[in-house]
Amino acid sequence: MSYPLELRDVVKRFGGLTATDNMSFRVEDGESLGLIGPNGAGKTTIFSLIMGEHRQTSGSILCNGEDISALPTYARIGRGVCRTYQVPRPFADMDVMENIRLGLMPNNLWQMLVRGPNHDREIELALSVGFAEGDLKRHPAELSMGDLRKLELARTLATGPSIMLLDEVFAGLTAGEISQIAELINQKRKEGMTLIIVSHDLKSLEPLIDRAIAMNYGAIVAEGDFAHVMADPDVRAAYLGGE
Amino acid sequence: MSQIIIQGLLLSGLYALIAVGFTLIFSIGRVLNLAYGAYLMIGGYVYYHVTQVLDMPQLVGILLAVVFGCGVGVLKYTLLVKPLKGDHVAVEISTLILAVVIQAGIVLVFNDSSKILHPIVPGVWRVGGATVTFNILTAALASWAILIGLYLFVRNTHIGRAMQAVSMDTKGAAISGVDPDRINLITWGISGGLGAIAGVFFASYTQLNPSMWVAPLIIAVAVVIVGGIGSIIGTLIVAHIIGFMEIISTTLIAAELRGVFTMLLIIGVLVMRPRGLFGREEL
Amino acid sequence: MGIRWQHLAAWAVFIIFMLALPEFVSKGTLRTIIFANFLAIFAISWDVLSGRTGYISFGHPFLIGIGAYTSAILSYRFGFPIALSIPLAVVAAMIGGTLFFLPALRIRGSYFALVTLAFMELMYQLVQVIRPDITGGTRGISGVETITRGAVNNFYLSFCLMALVAFSMWLLMKSRLGTALSAIGMNEESVRGSGLDTTKLKLAAFMIAAFVAGLGGAFYVHYLGSIAPRALFDINFLFTIIVAALIGGASTIIGPMIGAFFLTFLLEYLRPVLPGAERYFIYGGIALILYMYQPKGIYEVAKQGWGRIQAARAGAGS
Repeated sequence: MSYPLELRDVVKRFGGLTATDNMSFRVEDGESLGLIGPNGAGKTTIFSLIMGEHRQTSGSILCNGEDISALPTYARIGRGVCRTYQVPRPFADMDVMENIRLGLMPNNLWQMLVRGPNHDREIELALSVGFAEGDLKRHPAELSMGDLRKLELARTLATGPSIMLLDEVFAGLTAGEISQIAELINQKRKEGMTLIIVSHDLKSLEPLIDRAIAMNYGAIVAEGDFAHVMADPDVRAAYLGGE
Repeated sequence: MSQIIIQGLLLSGLYALIAVGFTLIFSIGRVLNLAYGAYLMIGGYVYYHVTQVLDMPQLVGILLAVVFGCGVGVLKYTLLVKPLKGDHVAVEISTLILAVVIQAGIVLVFNDSSKILHPIVPGVWRVGGATVTFNILTAALASWAILIGLYLFVRNTHIGRAMQAVSMDTKGAAISGVDPDRINLITWGISGGLGAIAGVFFASYTQLNPSMWVAPLIIAVAVVIVGGIGSIIGTLIVAHIIGFMEIISTTLIAAELRGVFTMLLIIGVLVMRPRGLFGREEL
Repeated sequence: MGIRWQHLAAWAVFIIFMLALPEFVSKGTLRTIIFANFLAIFAISWDVLSGRTGYISFGHPFLIGIGAYTSAILSYRFGFPIALSIPLAVVAAMIGGTLFFLPALRIRGSYFALVTLAFMELMYQLVQVIRPDITGGTRGISGVETITRGAVNNFYLSFCLMALVAFSMWLLMKSRLGTALSAIGMNEESVRGSGLDTTKLKLAAFMIAAFVAGLGGAFYVHYLGSIAPRALFDINFLFTIIVAALIGGASTIIGPMIGAFFLTFLLEYLRPVLPGAERYFIYGGIALILYMYQPKGIYEVAKQGWGRIQAARAGAGS
């Protein structure tokens, strides 16, 4: 049986610091998994390892049964895995459509040369994440934090993913923007997208996930449905910073 | 053999002096001051003018050279680096342009023929087959004294510790009450002064000409790259590696190849260990 | 970003204007323009690499020098016809570009700029030492075969080469490949995060830049008829290339062209006013002030000025 994404005994050390300690978990097809834990628990490191931005010290990462541990980032994206960042990273001197264009580009120099951009698809993606027609020519400096998150979602969606890793998607947003993004995530869930979501905003996270994993010090503390995980004494201790 | 060791030690001392002012700026602002070689040129020419044209005492020459170097450093920071705040590429390119402008300025004032500086301390000393001019000996001793002084200054004074703090974390330093702007200004001044005094010795070792700034810049760059950022000790060690490499290749292989190994060392170290041999690891 | 007919019309007007130029201006001016043409080629090459991807090359003369030296040596020492020596020179420059590329796999920013500077200095020293019987050592090679004679012919040759390079680079940079290269300059991680192989993209940029630099260098040596290490592997030459690209406007094609013509003519027009060494001082000073005033270059200044005029008009209209 293969899963869209599976981690087996993944360990990551930065010098003397163990950021990920023997993590194993898997995500079912179309499932939405919440990854929670205090600051420094190692959630973002997991995302970096899955994307190949860092290499794990040991263990393996599988995508649909294939070991992707040795693949470079672009090849993992080519297999349908993608992520967003806690701090959005747009291309500063490009407008909304051009930013999305990067996500739509095939990883093939010849194709990039001979085929022009697909403007219809760019507009379609921009509108689908909630941009207005008038925003299409705007530059990142003119956009709000909510818009920047939408832009990043649109650019990652443009790569045609089947699994999305969302890192702190609600950070720095207004209540209105949070509900907009939540709406968008729910829609992707309905379309069958597999999701892993990291968030500190547990209230907003709860309705978006099927299952939660709580982490602390790079290891899994508790796992199961959201209410069960939150009731776990170790999780409570970790969040309250108990001794 | 003793010739190699003695010459190597002396040349390395001079190189350490040349590099240290450059390291200082790189470690504090993370910017490459490509006009650094111009300090050496200014120092050398001011000293030349004061002592050999105006016939004033050598001490006055050295002092004025340092004052000029400091002044140019401070001006450079206020007029060039500060307005371009944060944009490293712009600083590097504008300092490159500035170096070329200063070179043209020197040609304008002193014309472009080479000038020979009288040795600062005349005379030679023979030790076991090796000939040492008092001039380079003085340069090496002065270089050691200045480096030790600088080390003590950075370690033990309030300003020195503030400089260390800014070099580690500008924002953190600002939060704890250090004014990074003032520290930067002071550092650029010190760096200019160090460059100027290194220039006096460098010029007395080679000669004065309007394109003399390139060679010391390359040496400084090599020392900083190979040594890594922000370590006076690292600077010292690497200056010796490069100094000895040059002396050995000059005496044993071919005089023309002296710079080649330095370049190969820069390329090799940057490709294998981008942070340098003794640099701090940065996340 | 798309190609519109106005763009093509502007190119056509520019090319026709330049081709008609020898009818109207003196031979001296034509000689100046020949230099501007070559400088524009070098500046465009620099810009494709550094202006777009943000990998600042301080060693561009290294690539140009490989092209120039290879062609000069092949034709002068080994009697190759120019039609063969120039393509081989371009290939050699591209191999040199690969050497340049290796450090770019691991380092960027200031460190990368420094390695390229080291490459240039290394080349300067090696050329004089290794096989001086072939490279001509410190004095270089003179008496290299020239392609054509006379200011007018050389003007046409250099202009056609420049226009060809500029137009093809313009087309290339208008493509999605050009967009991706600019994106690397803005945020390399995000390009990787968009599913693109940045190593491949960077290699493409290095190869294109080396191709243009090698081509320009080879034609340049067959125009000058001579070559010397100090004239090529020199910080002042590097300075002129970089400043031409930046003062004109980095990350555009027209910018480096404007910059190259501006710098060449500035130096030329200063000659009668300031015959001595002051000329270079003022010349560098103007470059510095312009760069400090608008790091994005003359093209950007013109664009903003045009924008202001448009806005003022719209304001007056309403």
